[in-house]
Amino acid sequence: MPDSPRMDWLERALFDAPRPAFRARLKSDLERTAAAMTLATETTGTTARVRQSATPQLRVKNAPAAIDFYTRAFGAREIMRFEAGGSIPHAELLIGNSLIFLGEEAPEYGYPGPASLGGSPVSIQLLVDDADVMMAQAVAAGARVTSPLADQFYGDRTGRVTDPFGHSWTIVMRKEEMSVEEMYRRMAAMQGERPAPTAESFRPEGFHTVTPYLVVADAPALIDFVTRAFGGEERSRDIGPGGGIHADVQIGDSRLMIGGGAPEAPWRGQRWNTAFHLYLKDTDAAFERAVQAGATVLQAPADMEYGERSAGVKDASGNVWYIATAMGASYVPEGLHSLNVYLHPHRAEPLIAFMTRAFGADKVEKYASPDGIIHHARVRIGDSVIEMGEARGPYQPMPTQFYLYVPNADAAYQRALEAGAESIRPPADQPYGDRNAGVKDVFGNQWFVATQIRPR
Amino acid sequence: MPDADERLLVEAAQRDPSRFAALYERHFDRVYAYVVHRVRNRDAAEDVTSEVFHKALAGLRRYEWRGAPFGAWLIRIAANVIIDRSKRVAREVVDSDQVPESTTEPDVMLVDQWAHVFRLIETLPADQRTVIVERYIEERSIREVAARLGKSEGAIKQLQFRALHMLRTRMEGADA
Repeated sequence: MPDSPRMDWLERALFDAPRPAFRARLKSDLERTAAAMTLATETTGTTARVRQSATPQLRVKNAPAAIDFYTRAFGAREIMRFEAGGSIPHAELLIGNSLIFLGEEAPEYGYPGPASLGGSPVSIQLLVDDADVMMAQAVAAGARVTSPLADQFYGDRTGRVTDPFGHSWTIVMRKEEMSVEEMYRRMAAMQGERPAPTAESFRPEGFHTVTPYLVVADAPALIDFVTRAFGGEERSRDIGPGGGIHADVQIGDSRLMIGGGAPEAPWRGQRWNTAFHLYLKDTDAAFERAVQAGATVLQAPADMEYGERSAGVKDASGNVWYIATAMGASYVPEGLHSLNVYLHPHRAEPLIAFMTRAFGADKVEKYASPDGIIHHARVRIGDSVIEMGEARGPYQPMPTQFYLYVPNADAAYQRALEAGAESIRPPADQPYGDRNAGVKDVFGNQWFVATQIRPR
Repeated sequence: MPDADERLLVEAAQRDPSRFAALYERHFDRVYAYVVHRVRNRDAAEDVTSEVFHKALAGLRRYEWRGAPFGAWLIRIAANVIIDRSKRVAREVVDSDQVPESTTEPDVMLVDQWAHVFRLIETLPADQRTVIVERYIEERSIREVAARLGKSEGAIKQLQFRALHMLRTRMEGADA
């Protein structure tokens, strides 16, 4: 056919026209070669002078959206994309002078993305000329700030963002070059200003890791109730900066924080109630005292098949108390404290996942029925246990406020934000001797993470 | 092609190789047209064209602007690649079916005309372009193309007719 006598010059040219696939493939080959040359010939500053040998391969859910995001957020240039079966298993982006690879996640083949792992432990460092501009651009494109920009002792200005696909990026601007020796000197000088918290001193004496923090309309009435009903002992009572009462009450081996208003000083802020699993020596006597002190009956004392004698009351402030006496060697079961928070989330799994990521919860025990409902779970954070049972019937979610003592409040705050919490208050030194920060999780619970910086 | 424009593109690519793509887009059709006139075989034409652009990219920093257009530099590279290739082929066992490569320089006017046709194909409406690619480049029959695209043979003929008409009109417009 190409040599048919009826063919004219145009058709002859068409027979010799280049294949579109070849035109496109050669272009893509050249772009990849050019990108590699860019790496090889870069000669400025502290950036790599050699072609890069190690390249991150990011797994993401929705690769096309990720390519679009990295283009807008970090000025990435798409070098190539390989599509197969309607998705992108491999694409190459150039950010500045560095290549990154990315591809659609495929957990079933052993390539999970951050979304299916619940986060990424790796942060990719982006060295930029202007960290503030890059941070603003990333945020405008949809990144979430997990660590605001700050000047660091080692001469960099850094901040961290988490992208919509769960990957973490540290934006870095070099402000001052210094030797490693100088970095040690600067760190020592900084620590001289404030001694680093030690494992023993980050938590005040008498406090466990987890302390429930109730805020009610009539704080003195609640203090009076727990004193009369459960043998609580008031350890301190102050007026907080917000004008409300703040009291610490000891119940058995545990502390309880009670804040809020009083009849003569109405509280206009949010109230925080919760449910407790409270272990006492004599459930029946405590139940009687609670009812006499004004509590309403949820359940009269009875022996439970799981080895406890238990009763339920609700105090006048709205808190629920599951009073219990374990029928074992001790009336407080092994591993639990006198006072344990008992949550009723709609679904336990996401809340447990959050506590694990944000606060390093471990030793999780779960008891689910065949229909998948988690009737009882215990989650350990530090030396404390938070119990929960998924909401049903009268047991409905009651967002709770916690005060958590941790070795490093700043780090815990960062982790909580990375785990999806929202900041209420960034870390700050408080007049009462703690450095603390506040976050709110997506389930409505509020967490203050604190490190004692001055023994009280 | 205005030289000032071209010079900016070349200098940009010399500073930043990733800018080479613009030069590639601009010169691909002419280089391919030149090569296909010399080698007369699609696979060989692709090999040579690919080598030309990779050599140009690698040697871009050595290219000096002395009035000789960038396009002419690419054609010189192409001519050298073809010479090296024919020396190599001559030493190998000659395939009797292979069309011998032309040793004479093709007519520049003809190369430009073909390059223009190649560029125009890219500007055709998508359905017409597909038919041109299927019929001429992939060398498929009307019936095959109709089956592949799920259209009637009449529709394919119609699209081919319209595409050829449009290409002819535009080529004549360019000549005028």
